[in-house]
Amino acid sequence: MSRINKPRIKHKHSRVNLSKPLNFTFDGKPYIGYQGDTLASALLANGIKVMARSFKYGRPRGIVGSWAEEPNCLVQIDMGAKTTPDLKATQVELYEGLVAGRTSGWPSLAFDLKSIGGHFSRFMPAGFYYKTFKWPAKFWPLYEHVIRKAAGYGASPIEADVETYDHKHHHTDVLVVGGGAAGLLAAQLSGQCGASVILLDDQSEMGGYLLSTPNTTIGGKNALEWRDSVITELQSLPNVQILTRTTAFGLHDMNMIQAVELLQDHLPHHQRNAIQRRERLHRIRANKVVLATGAFERPLVFGNNDVPGVMTVSALATYFNRYGVACGKHTLILTSNDSAYQAVADLAAGGVKVTLADVRDNINAEWDAHFKQLGIDVFTGFGISEVLGSNSVTGARLSKLHPTNPMENFEKDLLRRRVVNVRDISCDVIASSGGLSPTVHLFCHDGGRPTWSDESLAFVVSANGRANAGIYCVGAVTGEFQLQKGLEKTVQTTQEMLASLGKSATNTMALNTNEIAPNPTKAIFHIATSKKAFVDFQNDVAVTDIQLAVRENFKSIEHIKRYTALGFGTDQGKLSNVNGFAIAAEALGKTIPEVGTTTYRPAYTPVSFGALAGAHVAETFEPRRYTAMQASHEQFGAEYETVGNWMRPWYFPQNGEDMQAAVNRECLAARNGVAIMDASTLGKIDIQGKDVREFLNRVYSNSWSQLASGKCRYGLMLNEAGMVMDDGVTACITDTHFLMTTTTGGAANVLNWLEKWHQTEWTELEVYMTSVTDHWATASLVGPKSREVLAKLCSDIDLNKDAFKFMEWRDGTVAGVPARVFRISFSGELAYEINVDASYGNYVWQALMAAGKAFDITPYGTETMHVLRAEKGFIIVGQETDGSVTPLDLDMAWAVSLKKPFSFIGKRSLARSDTVRTDRKQLVGLLTEDPTIVLKEGAQIINSSNISPPVAMFGHVTSSYYSAFLGRSIALALVTDGFKRRENVESIFAYAEGKAIKAKIVSSVFVDAEGARHHG
Amino acid sequence: MAKSLSNIELNLNQFSPIAQSALQHFNLSARQEKVSFEKGVWANETPPAGYIRLRGNAQNPVFLAATQAALGAHIPCLACTSIKTEFGSLYWLSIDEWLIVTSVESRATLQAKLEQSLTGIHSLVADQSGGMTTIKVLGKHAADALSHCTVYDLHALNMGKVVGTSFGKLSVFLCADHDGYRLLFRRSFADYIWRYLERAAEPYGFAIANLS
Repeated sequence: MSRINKPRIKHKHSRVNLSKPLNFTFDGKPYIGYQGDTLASALLANGIKVMARSFKYGRPRGIVGSWAEEPNCLVQIDMGAKTTPDLKATQVELYEGLVAGRTSGWPSLAFDLKSIGGHFSRFMPAGFYYKTFKWPAKFWPLYEHVIRKAAGYGASPIEADVETYDHKHHHTDVLVVGGGAAGLLAAQLSGQCGASVILLDDQSEMGGYLLSTPNTTIGGKNALEWRDSVITELQSLPNVQILTRTTAFGLHDMNMIQAVELLQDHLPHHQRNAIQRRERLHRIRANKVVLATGAFERPLVFGNNDVPGVMTVSALATYFNRYGVACGKHTLILTSNDSAYQAVADLAAGGVKVTLADVRDNINAEWDAHFKQLGIDVFTGFGISEVLGSNSVTGARLSKLHPTNPMENFEKDLLRRRVVNVRDISCDVIASSGGLSPTVHLFCHDGGRPTWSDESLAFVVSANGRANAGIYCVGAVTGEFQLQKGLEKTVQTTQEMLASLGKSATNTMALNTNEIAPNPTKAIFHIATSKKAFVDFQNDVAVTDIQLAVRENFKSIEHIKRYTALGFGTDQGKLSNVNGFAIAAEALGKTIPEVGTTTYRPAYTPVSFGALAGAHVAETFEPRRYTAMQASHEQFGAEYETVGNWMRPWYFPQNGEDMQAAVNRECLAARNGVAIMDASTLGKIDIQGKDVREFLNRVYSNSWSQLASGKCRYGLMLNEAGMVMDDGVTACITDTHFLMTTTTGGAANVLNWLEKWHQTEWTELEVYMTSVTDHWATASLVGPKSREVLAKLCSDIDLNKDAFKFMEWRDGTVAGVPARVFRISFSGELAYEINVDASYGNYVWQALMAAGKAFDITPYGTETMHVLRAEKGFIIVGQETDGSVTPLDLDMAWAVSLKKPFSFIGKRSLARSDTVRTDRKQLVGLLTEDPTIVLKEGAQIINSSNISPPVAMFGHVTSSYYSAFLGRSIALALVTDGFKRRENVESIFAYAEGKAIKAKIVSSVFVDAEGARHHG
Repeated sequence: MAKSLSNIELNLNQFSPIAQSALQHFNLSARQEKVSFEKGVWANETPPAGYIRLRGNAQNPVFLAATQAALGAHIPCLACTSIKTEFGSLYWLSIDEWLIVTSVESRATLQAKLEQSLTGIHSLVADQSGGMTTIKVLGKHAADALSHCTVYDLHALNMGKVVGTSFGKLSVFLCADHDGYRLLFRRSFADYIWRYLERAAEPYGFAIANLS
């Protein structure tokens, strides 16, 4: 008789503190649990059996596992911005005030509409979605909507996350993953010999399965005492770091392990520290990794095995011993191996009525005697053919198994022969054990493969097979399921691992246990039944689905997985995969190792986006590079544009102007008065050495042999294919010292490019280069009045137009600051670029603004810069070019010197048959017939207004603006055979967004073609 | 505290230039406190300095002799090392690259001496004073805070060791001092690096250190 009258029991080894009750709600109803509970244990203690509905058929589901393997009970935790979907109830630590909700069951857990469909489940076989919702294709969005709603699961938060996350990098001699018996021992031995050790475990406390089996003894101590003694020692070692609630979810090349630590989710809201992170992503680079990841118990598959109340034996034992919860008064246990026996004994000794069915014909004599003493009914050679009950287990039908093939349906045969070998047992909970499946995931993430062991009946990993990679495995993951042998081998393997670090360790602890030597496990995965027998609960994959997939000619397990959705869920098939492989093997007539496994990929368990993002959110999302003048830009109310991480002023709206109004005003100021732009972001590379000129000759398409000191020249940089990759003005400071400027976005690439060619191809050239981008702050003073403004601040440079000509530079002082002033212009106006030490950048900017006040000096941003340069037909690399444009395509043959004695990068490619074609896409100007229409950038060039497809395309609009100075729109375009068509001023149409706009092809220079303004 | 630059009064006969540090906008000097044990992490931008980038062939005895003559010290040729000198510090950055840090006042003279001494020798000398800054990080949790920011193994960073490494999505030169760490990086990175560091340090208790 059962001595249990309510699920919550007093258990002397329970980790739950019954003096600390906690209030929580589930699915809107209040409950009480205790400190140390998980949500699952607390719900079970409250007698809750149905916690979810199944994905496909809407069948009621309950708790099956006790940790990350749980397939059914996905819950929604917390509300509003803090809500988290699809956590496993088994992994949620209970706290005061916890709010949990179901994630499936619509309209309610008690009644799910899909369960009606479940009655028609034979019409919803494997591949059902592929077969049913395929036609007509245009209905897919509708299907998808309905399917997604029906599929259920949790809801993502719709508010911004209020929690914070971060990343932490570690470097350690030894990382031990898993704090069960083997992991603790490996960490202890490693710590004792002085290695730096990180020991991590995903649960709230170390101990692993020892916490679930307190009656096991090690070295004469009970499991918990032994655990405590090891932990005490580990805590005393300064070289050992212990991380709990930390899941290693990925093992990557070079033994970089990613692990996520839950720092605050177990605390009631009022105890959470707002300045502390919610989760932390640890990136651990370990010299040696010891995987002590253990194993999950594999359930046996039998008819109606998804009725709430059916679970694994290890889960049942865990709830009983660790959480003090008896899941039922009368338990039926079905096993194929001896590992379940300790739990049977624990439960019976604790007052639970236990019936044991063992699929094997004989039972270990020592255990048999023990069970007799405990009054346990034992059925040998029996399996469960069918679970009885619908919303919860009420009993089970046991059937004698076929002597040679237990997976054969033997029941009808027996009935026909009137053999009374069917027994109906009444019970309220059923637990099964089909053996253990090692948690091999991490071992496999970076290419390792598990191997099938007939002895262990499991996919196992080698203890030292990957020692060369620094990966060692200890404990159950190696297929050693006996504790004492496992610990003894852990000592060996750890010693071997430490020896490879030049350290030695001696085990001083007694490791003998009170285990009874086990009989072999029987190879059985599912038991014949006429009822639905589920392999994967989360995706409602039944034995028959896998068999159907095989009948439909799926042969690879990877295909069978995808067709049936086996192992696809958030549990990643931790309980179901191996059973699925075995059932597929049986259906294929192959052995399990022939079928093999699917691929184990990170993440081992789901990881939040917050943890992956870490600090890369909000203000630290992306680097924002600011120039020295940023304070002034803010003062002037700049709007910004991001260019290669730089925050560049885009335009400076005044008095509620929109962008176009601001840009019009800024453009007119630059053309008619004076305007100022921050050009600090342009890349600046200081190049020195006796061979600078030759070096420039080779990296630029034009010639640098004659450029005198004090002068500047525009250069085009090509890649090996002859295509334009960057441009800029380079100044000759002295004969052996040049200053190159690059585009803002191209600066880092160009420096790498120069270093690459110098270091790999032209080592003989005596040049060195370094970036001085950040050193120089640059103000572009632009417009007919710019000379007058500069003159107010600069008395030591002769600014006379004949003394300081266009494309020259001078050293001097501006507002008392040493400055290098360039007379160069990207606007086509008289302009000076004033470069100063960036420390003085803001001061000089302010001085220029003050000096220009009388001329109504106008700061402008990148948009106005774009308009001004487009009016002049100046290209922007990356806008007019796209990696397929040569200098000749840009009408810039003047910037290519084919006479240089040495070649230059890209030269040979300019002679290719394709690059010498005269009808390539070429850069031209476009003027729309209607001057008020601004073409869309990217608009396709077509030859007529007829837009019925097919329409031949002849290029595209690269730049398009309204020019306030010209009082009309302008555009640049790459047009097939553009130069010839320009001569004829041909008309084209620019097509975008359903409209074809008429325009004529003209010169790309719209303003001051003769250059009078910038020479002025 | 630096003078405000807004509404500058322009005296065309007498300019008084004002230098601003890369982290000026955080107004750190007004928020700094005396370093104590109460906070886990302390940091601040170090006073403005002169930064000179030097490149040359460390295998070339002529280059080495010329630098030694100008600097009065041997440039460190052992990877990832730095030395203190009379004028400041010398950091090895790569096999042919060094960073010289000195006072703002002595930078021009030192650079001129170097340039003169290296005339005709394959080398590069460039002023980067406007383009660099330094943050000092100290406190009992300085290494913890930095381990959130950089992948480098801080236990392997012995005193005086300097490495170019990651910091969030950017890069810095990281150097271990007797009392903490020094981060040397580009001016334009300053805003991001300071915010990133501050975020990382906050859970340990963070304050702005008075470094004087």
